[in-house]
Amino acid sequence: MKGWEIGRWGLIVLAGVALWLLLAGPGRLFGWDTGQLGMVLLVGSAWGLLYLVSRLPREALARSASPAEWKARVGAGFTLIAVIYFLSKMHVFNDAAFPHNHGASAVGRNLVLLLIAWTILSQVLASRMKGVVEADERDREIAVEAAGWGRGALIFCVIGIAVMLGFTPATRLDWATPLMIGNLLVFALMWGWLCEYVATLAYYWRDRRGMA
Amino acid sequence: MSGTTLLNQIRRFRFERGEMTQEALAQACGVTRQTIIALEAGRYAPSLELAFRIARAFGVGVEDVFQWKEAE
Repeated sequence: MKGWEIGRWGLIVLAGVALWLLLAGPGRLFGWDTGQLGMVLLVGSAWGLLYLVSRLPREALARSASPAEWKARVGAGFTLIAVIYFLSKMHVFNDAAFPHNHGASAVGRNLVLLLIAWTILSQVLASRMKGVVEADERDREIAVEAAGWGRGALIFCVIGIAVMLGFTPATRLDWATPLMIGNLLVFALMWGWLCEYVATLAYYWRDRRGMA
Repeated sequence: MSGTTLLNQIRRFRFERGEMTQEALAQACGVTRQTIIALEAGRYAPSLELAFRIARAFGVGVEDVFQWKEAE
């Protein structure tokens, strides 16, 4: 279990460096594009996590949380990274139309890479927990309540975007290109998912602590 | 989700059945171990179906396992 702890903290540090390179680091480092380097490191840390999870005894996995809670933890982590990355790179969608906008293409590519890493990690987790009950009535109850939060967050965000576009004078809406509005709607979707995952984890946490 | 007016004897029945593990009971009832933990701690009220499944796993009636806690 000590190796798992060391590995976990190592991966957290690696993921932190990767995020810094991805979001705030200098544009180029030793001739390398830091955005791509950060994404490679981030996917690398996801692979490391994959390796650790595949080595962890199944009993230890099942003891700490139910399969549905593990899924929510992984989903919350990846969605949080995707939302932060998407927000920090939002400005690139204003540069040019999509086929000619290399910045936007790179952001899209990185998000797809993140999605693939998420899918693979989820599959490995599912295979580690094969044979056990994946979700029971308590998990479904939590999922329903959390989905309500996710839906609320999505509606709030879409109404916010609509109000902002509707009430802002046209002269100040130069930035609101079709591509940008499309990306704002995608952000609203991601925000809804993030809120749903966070609410799920909050319900599990509250349940474990026995708070009314 | 949390806090319930149901009392239960799950822990007692587990120990009376040769220290049956939470995992074994969870598998017998088709739920996760975390749900058994939440039930034993009195943080979750099961559905009627799950209550019957738990009682069946112990070979007793539902009212032997679950009791209504009167409000004080």
